[in-house]
Amino acid sequence: MAADPVREWSDEQLKSDDLPKKDIIKFIQENAAHSFLNEHKLLGNMKNVAKTAKKEQLIIAYNQLFQSKRFKGSEPIEEVTEKVKAVKIEDKPKEAKAEVVDEGPPRYTKSVLKKGDKTNIPKKGDTVSCWYTGTLEDGTVFDTNIPTAARKKKQAKPLSFKVGMGKVIRGWDEALLTMSKGEQARLEIEPEWAYGKKGLPDSKIPPNAKLIFEVELVAVD
Amino acid sequence: MALEQLSDVVQRCQALPVDSYTSEDQDVFLISGRTCIEEGNVAQVLSIILDEKNKEVVRYMGWSLLPPLVGILLKKEERNVPQCLAIFNHLIESCSPKELLIGLLENMEHDDPDTIAESVHLLLTPLQKVLMRLGNRKASSLGMTLSSVLDQVTKLPLPRTKEQEEDDVFSVCRSCTDLIVFVRPFVQEVSRTLLKSDELSDSTQKMTIRQRTDEEDELRTELLKFCMKALSRPLLEVHLKEPDTLAVSPLRNFAEDILNILRTIGEPLTALVHRPVLKRKLVPGFLEEEVRYPKESLASLTHLVFVHLLAADAFSYVYSPVFCLRCNMEHICLLLSRTEENMIQKGLELYEKSLLRVDDGTLCADLLEIRTFLTVPKNLVNVMTMCPRHDLRTKGLKIFQLSIDKFDTEAKYKFFQYTLKAISHSGVQGYIIKNIKNQINSALQTGNSNTWFLGIHLLPLLRKVLILPDGPETDLLQYLDRLMESLNLLRYLIIRDKVTENQTGIWTELYKIEDTFTKPLRVGLNMTRAHYEKELQNTMEDKKAKTREEMKVSVSVGDEKLPKMTSQSQIQALHSALHTFDMIESVLVRVEELIDVQETP
Repeated sequence: MAADPVREWSDEQLKSDDLPKKDIIKFIQENAAHSFLNEHKLLGNMKNVAKTAKKEQLIIAYNQLFQSKRFKGSEPIEEVTEKVKAVKIEDKPKEAKAEVVDEGPPRYTKSVLKKGDKTNIPKKGDTVSCWYTGTLEDGTVFDTNIPTAARKKKQAKPLSFKVGMGKVIRGWDEALLTMSKGEQARLEIEPEWAYGKKGLPDSKIPPNAKLIFEVELVAVD
Repeated sequence: MALEQLSDVVQRCQALPVDSYTSEDQDVFLISGRTCIEEGNVAQVLSIILDEKNKEVVRYMGWSLLPPLVGILLKKEERNVPQCLAIFNHLIESCSPKELLIGLLENMEHDDPDTIAESVHLLLTPLQKVLMRLGNRKASSLGMTLSSVLDQVTKLPLPRTKEQEEDDVFSVCRSCTDLIVFVRPFVQEVSRTLLKSDELSDSTQKMTIRQRTDEEDELRTELLKFCMKALSRPLLEVHLKEPDTLAVSPLRNFAEDILNILRTIGEPLTALVHRPVLKRKLVPGFLEEEVRYPKESLASLTHLVFVHLLAADAFSYVYSPVFCLRCNMEHICLLLSRTEENMIQKGLELYEKSLLRVDDGTLCADLLEIRTFLTVPKNLVNVMTMCPRHDLRTKGLKIFQLSIDKFDTEAKYKFFQYTLKAISHSGVQGYIIKNIKNQINSALQTGNSNTWFLGIHLLPLLRKVLILPDGPETDLLQYLDRLMESLNLLRYLIIRDKVTENQTGIWTELYKIEDTFTKPLRVGLNMTRAHYEKELQNTMEDKKAKTREEMKVSVSVGDEKLPKMTSQSQIQALHSALHTFDMIESVLVRVEELIDVQETP
C-alpha cells in the first residue's frame, strides 16, 4: 500500500502570507478523499474554491486531513463509486436489428370459413390476391372489392399486393401469412393493428375502431 | 349571281367522275357556295345539297362549305339557322369523315374566349358523329380531336371563386361538361372491349386473355392520354370547391368524371397513385412512360383522391397509412418543387392530409433512407422562406412541425441532425434547435427517458448546436435566430438539469462549450458592439457636420443600387442592430451567471 502523504508545511509556514491559498487547496484536492473535500467545501474549480475559502479554514482543513488520515484511497467503496462516475459509457455496439418483438398477443383473431389447399401458403414478399369485404363492429360496410351486379361494368379485380412488407394494415399482413390458397377467413382486427387511435379521418372508420374483414385468398405468386 | 354559278358547277360535275373535278371547279364551288350562304340564299343551297343527283359532288366537295356555315351558326341569326343547320347536318353525314374532321377542328381554333366557348359547344356533337363514322380507324383521330379541344378549352379563363364558377361567364364549366358527354361513347366502347376479353378468358377457363387488337389498344391509350392531359390542365390549375361551399360544382363533377373514365378504361386509381413507388415494368419505348403516365398528372390525381376525396370508393382501405404516405411523398415532392402557387398549395394540402392519417411518434428512422423523405423537407423549407404568399409560408411551417411530430424519437434525432447539416437558413435552424429543446424536456419527464435526447446520443447533437460557426468573427446578425435558440437551449439545460444529476451530460461538457460557444460569443459580441457603436458615433457626427456626405452604407438589389440610405435610416439601422446585441447579451449574461452559481459549491 502506498505511503500516506507527508506534511509539506509547518503551522508557521501555513500562516505565512508567502504561501498562497491556491497551493494549499491544490495539495488538499490532490490528496484528500472525495468525501473529505465535500465536507470541507473544497470540491470544484480551483478559482471558485479560492474565492470562497478563507485561509484559516484551509489551515484547519489541512491539519484535520493529517489527523483523520482521510486520504485518497482510504475509503475504498467511495473511491470506487467515484471512479465509476468518471467512467465514460463506451459506444455500445449497435444492437443487431432484431425481428420486431411482439409486445403481447396478436391483435387479431381469425376464424376459417372455408379451408384452403393448405399447401400454398404465402411467404413475406410474395404477391397475394384477395377478395374481401370490410365491416365495422356495427355492421357498416366500409370497403369491398367484390363485384355486385350493379358494379359489373367497372371490371372488378382481386386486390393484389406484396404481403408482409408493411404495405397493408398490420392485421392483414400477419393474417395472410397464416392462410393458404383458396382459404376464406373472417378476421377481427383490433385498432392497434388497423387504424389505431386516429381512425381514418374523412371516412367511415372512426377512432379506435375494430375492423372485421371476410377475406378470400385466391392466388399466391 | 353566285347561285347561278353554284348551280352551274354542280350540274357540270354531276356528269363527271370524281377524280376528274378540276381545282377550278372546286374553287368555284367553294366561292359561290360561300357567297350564297353569306347572302342568305340558304334555302336554295339546301335544295341543291339535298338533291340525289348531286350526291357524289356533295360528298366530294361539300365539306368546304363548313366555314361559312359555322360562321352563320355561331352568329345565331334566327332567320337562317334552321336551314344552315340542315345543310350542316347533311354534310356531316355525307362527306368524307377525314376531311370533315380537319374542317371542324380548324373551325374550332380561335383566340377570343367567347368564340372558343361557342364553337366548342357547337362542334363537339358533330365531331362525335364524324368520329363514329370512322369505325375501326378512329383512334388516332380521336386522340387528335381530344388534344385540340382541350387546348382550346384551356385558353379560357378559369373561375377562381364560387360565384365565378356559378356564373361561368367564360363557359369553362359548360365546355368541360360538354367534353364528358362527347367522350362517353368512346369510353363505353373501350369498356365493352375490356369486358369481352375478361369474359372470354373466363369461358375458356384459361389464364390467357384475348389479345386486344392494336386499334382497341390505341383507343384506350388515347383516352388515357386525354385523362392525363385534363388532370394537368385545367384540373391542376383550378381550385375545387367543397360541397359545403358549392353544392353543385361542374368542375368537381368534371374531375370525378375523369377519374371514373380512368377506372372504366382499366386504369385502377390505386395503381396510378402507387405507380412511382412500385417497381412496375415501365411502358416500353422512348418516353412512353412519361407520355402515358405523366408525373404531374399522377400528382394531380392523388391530390383529387386524398384531399377532395373524389372516387373514394375506388380506394381500398386495406393499405397502411404509412405506405400511403410513402407513395404520396413522390407526388408531394413534385408539387412542392414547383414555383406555381397553385401547385405549392396542392402539395401542402396533400402532405398535410397524408400526415394526419398517421399517429404521432410512429414514423421510424428507416424512412429517412428514402430519398423523398429528405428532399421534401428541403422543398418545404424553400416554401417557408421564399414563397411570396404569406398564407402558404405559414402553412408550410405548420406542416413542417407536423411532419416532425410524426417521427418517433430516433427518427426525430436523425432528422434534426440532417437538417442542421443540410439546411443553412438561420431561422429554420433556430426552429430545429427549439424542437431539440422540447425533446430534451420531454425526455426529462419521468418515464420518458430515451437514449436519443438523453444519454449517449445527446452530447454529439448538442455539440453541433452549441457552437459559433465562425468563432468570434461570426456575423451575429445573420445567425441571430440560431444563436438565440442555442442560448435559450443552453440556459434551459443549466436550469433544468441539476449539476448533481447531470442527466444530459451538460455539466461535464460545459468547459468545452465555454471554449466553443460562450467565450467566443462574449468576445464576438464585445467586438461587434464596439464596431457598431463607433459606426453610430461617426454617422451622428457626420450628420451634424455636413448635410451631404458620402454614405458608407449602400444596398443593392439585383444590379441596381437602391438610393442611398439617408443618415437617419442608417442611424435607425445601427440602433436596431445594437438593440439586437443587447438582447443576445442579456441571455448570455444570464447563462454565465447560472453557470457560476451552479459551479460554486
